[in-house]
Amino acid sequence: MATRTAPSPTVVPGLSPERPVTWPKCTKTRLSNGLEVILAESQAIPKFHGQLSFRSGNAAVVDRGPGLAEMTATVVRTGTKLRVSRQIEEDLRRIGADLSSSAGADTTGIGFAGLSELAEPLLGLVNELAREAAFPEPEFERERRQKLEEVKLDRTQPGFLASERLRKVLFGEHPYATVAPTESQVAAYKRGDLTQFYREFYTPENALLVMVGDFDSSTMLKSIEKVFDGWTGKKPAPHPTPSPAQPKGRRVYLVHVPGAVQTQILAGCHAITRNHADWVKLGLTNSLYGGAFNSRLVMNIREDKGYTYSPRSAVNALRQHGYFSVSAAVRNDVVAASLTEIFYEIDRLRSLPVPEPELADARNYLSGIFSMGLATQDGLLSQLATVALNDLPDDYLETYREKVRALTPADLLATARKYLRSANMQIVVVGDRTKIEDQAKLFGDLEIYDAQGNKL
Amino acid sequence: VNRSQIAMEYTTLANGLKVVIVPDTSAPVVTVGVYYKIGFRLEPQGRSGFAHLFEHMMFQGSANAPKMQHIKLINSSGGLLNGSTHYDVTNYYESVPSNALERVLWLEADRMRALQVDDENLRNQRDVVKEEVRVNVMNQPYGGFPWLDLPPVAFRNWANAHNFYGDFADLDAADLADVQAFFKTYYVPNNAVLLVLGDVKGDEGVALAEKYFADIPAGAPPPFADSREPEQKEERRGQVEEKFGTLPAMAVGYTAPERRTTDWCAMALLDQALHGGRAGRMYRELVLEKQIAVEADGGIDDIFGYNGPTQMVTRILHKPEYSAENTLAAFDSVIGDLQEHGISEDELNQLKVKWRSDYYSTLEGGRGGMPRYGLMHLLACFTLFDNQPQLVNSILDGFLAVKREEIQAVAKKYLRPANRAVVFRTPVKAATKEAA
Repeated sequence: MATRTAPSPTVVPGLSPERPVTWPKCTKTRLSNGLEVILAESQAIPKFHGQLSFRSGNAAVVDRGPGLAEMTATVVRTGTKLRVSRQIEEDLRRIGADLSSSAGADTTGIGFAGLSELAEPLLGLVNELAREAAFPEPEFERERRQKLEEVKLDRTQPGFLASERLRKVLFGEHPYATVAPTESQVAAYKRGDLTQFYREFYTPENALLVMVGDFDSSTMLKSIEKVFDGWTGKKPAPHPTPSPAQPKGRRVYLVHVPGAVQTQILAGCHAITRNHADWVKLGLTNSLYGGAFNSRLVMNIREDKGYTYSPRSAVNALRQHGYFSVSAAVRNDVVAASLTEIFYEIDRLRSLPVPEPELADARNYLSGIFSMGLATQDGLLSQLATVALNDLPDDYLETYREKVRALTPADLLATARKYLRSANMQIVVVGDRTKIEDQAKLFGDLEIYDAQGNKL
Repeated sequence: VNRSQIAMEYTTLANGLKVVIVPDTSAPVVTVGVYYKIGFRLEPQGRSGFAHLFEHMMFQGSANAPKMQHIKLINSSGGLLNGSTHYDVTNYYESVPSNALERVLWLEADRMRALQVDDENLRNQRDVVKEEVRVNVMNQPYGGFPWLDLPPVAFRNWANAHNFYGDFADLDAADLADVQAFFKTYYVPNNAVLLVLGDVKGDEGVALAEKYFADIPAGAPPPFADSREPEQKEERRGQVEEKFGTLPAMAVGYTAPERRTTDWCAMALLDQALHGGRAGRMYRELVLEKQIAVEADGGIDDIFGYNGPTQMVTRILHKPEYSAENTLAAFDSVIGDLQEHGISEDELNQLKVKWRSDYYSTLEGGRGGMPRYGLMHLLACFTLFDNQPQLVNSILDGFLAVKREEIQAVAKKYLRPANRAVVFRTPVKAATKEAA
């Protein structure tokens, strides 16, 4: 041991009094065409970040074609009535801007960032993409061929294969069961499907514009009103989907990847959405279980046993149905041992109250990292957008830390019992069946698939 | 033009520890970093991967903060922490609510003063690191491509050419004596910089640095092996097997000019002309127009963060119906066009606006939920490599002064076959048919 001789203070310094969080100046309004606008000032650099979101994604149109919202978003940036693809990309560079256009299950988003001095031309381009996308036929064909290669590549990634299988198992007939299209589904896309999605869902009444950065909010609002003037469009008709049946009893799904030198574990069960009254409680429970470096799961299977590099758990907040999941990429010979510890830690949280000092640490953790998430332009943007897109109360961010700090061991015990449904967890393992099948089947009835989704 | 000027305190303690404080009271949050001037490039021969394994050991316990305590103390203060190993530096950093600043400084000082780890800790982290290598490299399609594939082909000096993540045999061979020797040699205050960014006043920050770090004795100046490369006289090529992916891939790396020269600035903008996302020439030609490739991007990775030979790398995944030679020919025609015609004034202006905008984002950007990582990283590298953290306020000027002729000249001088290496990563299996 390399101890040097200098005297050392042996006592950990305590915490000094906390400084209050100063909330950024925030403006919320709705334009006459229904577009909801949120602006927050943050002057760290002479730039801003923005996001124009539409409250509809792949789940809204899964019956027309899985991944159609994503394909639409991809082709949106390839041409407008005024600019061809190459000009769009060069114009972005000319104004020092970045732009992305994509869709998840619930939301379509055009994200952008640029220099404050060149805000108006960037807003102008975003407006064009939202209203005047041209969907040029050759660009559509090219992006579709590109997508075909992407979906093939996805099937070689253990993380993708695990989440694809878990979502199928948890959501059955519900649109959330599909995380990506198959090759034949991509091949079946028609340009008309995209333009129809665009007309129906890219409307101001369905949209939210959030911008954070170095600008004066009232000036920026005037620019926004000018740029988006004359844009009209209704909120799309709601598209109710029946709730998925929740799987009962533990089952194991093995996705066979010959030659895999490691096993990706992903287990999960239904939980709650972000606007559920128990969300903060479940967030803290998750953080204690496997959501932080200092959590029980990480300390157990990484720092004590060395089974894995990156274990973690999460509450996945899809808009209609949330789910809890735990993942770890582990050595092939410790798949059963890792699952044993994963369930041991869940069952311990369900059986015994969390000791108050450990809970206090976790409360501090969640409340502290929340403040840090607000300290960058894109961090603040993502928090503000989350609140608005999930219809959370206006004071959600301001009161979040108080809510975390009020939680007790009894709250956590009740939450773990209610939502970490150990007996109903669905277990996915992605790896080489010849190395892990015997271990996997110890945990429930086993089904085996190949990477293409064929049952073996 | 609005320019960000960053105010800072810069001082060196009597033991040689450099200290940079950047006050910013906009949020009650502070980011602390300690950077040591040693990375995987100069780890000991026969111990590939050791600098990174050692980084893991720095979380395993110090004299007054045994295993688990470091992580627990930071998380329970409401903070996040991490470390990372780079070519020429290794960093340890934390972001916490500012009321925990002294606690963080105490922890960093404790492990700079005395690492206290045992065989069990080493066995544990060796296992963790092997799973890290498996999840990022061995069990991933295109894992480690091209950052682990190119160096052994491109370079001849072991320092630049070895497996930076580590051969498992070398990881297995590493013992506690190696750990303590490495610590004693490189983890001395006179080979490090402490950075504090955020909710602290400049003079307070310096006083706290004194309070916690001043009594750590200086060590001998660390020895640094020579990392220079012998002159390259011919194109170099290599082959690597791709076990999971089904698309053929290739990477082309050109050795970059020495940092902080006029050529280097021109090369950075040339890099943007080639690789700047969808507007970049490589993506436009190979993916959008010729439609040979599915991916074509790259660049000089972490351009401010290295201090030795490095490359500008293009990474291409192409469709199986095009041969590797045809794909390389398409790549070469993009390079040839730049050498022959250079770039227009309009394109250069676009590149400069984008470069400036990206630079601001680097300064503001966080990493893994920790704010101010980007600024911290630049300050640390400019301090350790140049003894000038203030370069963050002037480095941009060199890029904005680049002229068209310089771009073309650099294209001719550096983008030559005899200055490059090409690695082909070839799938062992063809795509299988999807389920009906």
